[in-house]
Amino acid sequence: MQSVHSELPSHQAAVTSSSMTNKIDHSQLCQWLKSIAVDRDKQAFTGVFKFFAPKIQRIAQSKLNNEALAAEVLQDTMSNVWRKAHLFDDSKGAATTWVYTIMRNVTFDLLRKMKANKEDNLSDDIWPLAEALNTEDDSFSDHIQSRNLLGVIETLPENQQQVVKGFYFMEMSQEQLAVHLNLPLGTIKSRLRLALGKLKLKLGEHHD
Amino acid sequence: MIKHHPTFSMLQNFVDGDLPASLAAGVAMHAGMCPMCQQKIIQLTEQVAEANFEESSDLDLFTNDADMKTAELDFDDIIGEITASDDVEPMKAASIERSVSFKGTQYVLPNVLRNMSLGKTAQIGKLSRARILLDEGEIHTNLLHIGAGGSIPEHTHKGFELTLLLAGTFADEQGEYVPGDFIMLDKRHQHQPATELGCLCYTVANDALHFTQGINKLLNPIGSFIY
Ligand SMILES: [Zn+2]
Repeated sequence: MQSVHSELPSHQAAVTSSSMTNKIDHSQLCQWLKSIAVDRDKQAFTGVFKFFAPKIQRIAQSKLNNEALAAEVLQDTMSNVWRKAHLFDDSKGAATTWVYTIMRNVTFDLLRKMKANKEDNLSDDIWPLAEALNTEDDSFSDHIQSRNLLGVIETLPENQQQVVKGFYFMEMSQEQLAVHLNLPLGTIKSRLRLALGKLKLKLGEHHD
Repeated sequence: MIKHHPTFSMLQNFVDGDLPASLAAGVAMHAGMCPMCQQKIIQLTEQVAEANFEESSDLDLFTNDADMKTAELDFDDIIGEITASDDVEPMKAASIERSVSFKGTQYVLPNVLRNMSLGKTAQIGKLSRARILLDEGEIHTNLLHIGAGGSIPEHTHKGFELTLLLAGTFADEQGEYVPGDFIMLDKRHQHQPATELGCLCYTVANDALHFTQGINKLLNPIGSFIY
């Protein structure tokens, strides 16, 4: 790949000399994503946001050549990070790769919406996020993992199990669960959050 | 064994998100059947991501302080707005298979195609075609089924034609093709695929096919049919 800096020799020197501080702190990024997943940690999200946002804004701006659209890419990408952090698995790739995939997919769907006037959001089928990608390749290890997951879920208190199973295995929305279980939506949300936190911790232990 | 793969630059465009949906889907389906290209895509994606998100002093070079400040303010707003939401993405349940049937044979479609809208199947002789409705202007995408013993007469293209073999086999003067083969032809090429037992292809073309041999010119309506 050609270096962007090749035409700027003096600038290149500056970049090289500070290259140590320019290294991406991958473990910090992973840590933040985990905190978002487990604790819905806004501080951690702010860390992730401040790292990625200026770069996403710049990349989207140069690709779309439109400030409003670049802002939309930024907003969509980062909301996906917030909503999907629990799906990030650092054993399957770097945080940068994961966020890049989300950004590229959001941009692709947006461009398609404009050019072909189609809101079919095909990007996640074309470029599945790492977590989904492996279901076809590693069906064996995935099978073991989902058995493992089920085992861990069964250690949860009964009322949390109900919510988790409904949400993940039956793909019911939180609203549907509230109706189904005849509970306030807030209760569903807090049970799910509690359960998620415990699951993350327990599954984390298994990995280590 | 798969012998025909996307070029390296096509894989790069794929990773960058710069291919039209039709071709991107073709590359994705090939990668689903070809561990070698899958691996290349994974590596390329890592590299591109790393390069995109590297700290770079370009930012300081081209952005003055005033810009940075307004950006910072916006950022806090956006962070607040995003984190105010309680939504959590549900984990994907096992995907639901989608299948199509041509001439009595049922085919399970690759996941890449599961949400695309399909047009009605049209038939001429041993050829059946279902359009994939991607609305990409001159680029037309089809599922093309060639029944047992069928062939496509020798033809050329003004533009490009991608044929991704999804199931079955076919052969042309270059040899035999197997599922996963990614065959990209342009106007320099001619070919005449024929299948003994029938096959299903995913095709993308940006112009009608042109039949080249004497009497086959009469078949040019088939060229438009396939396109
Ligand atoms: Zn390949």
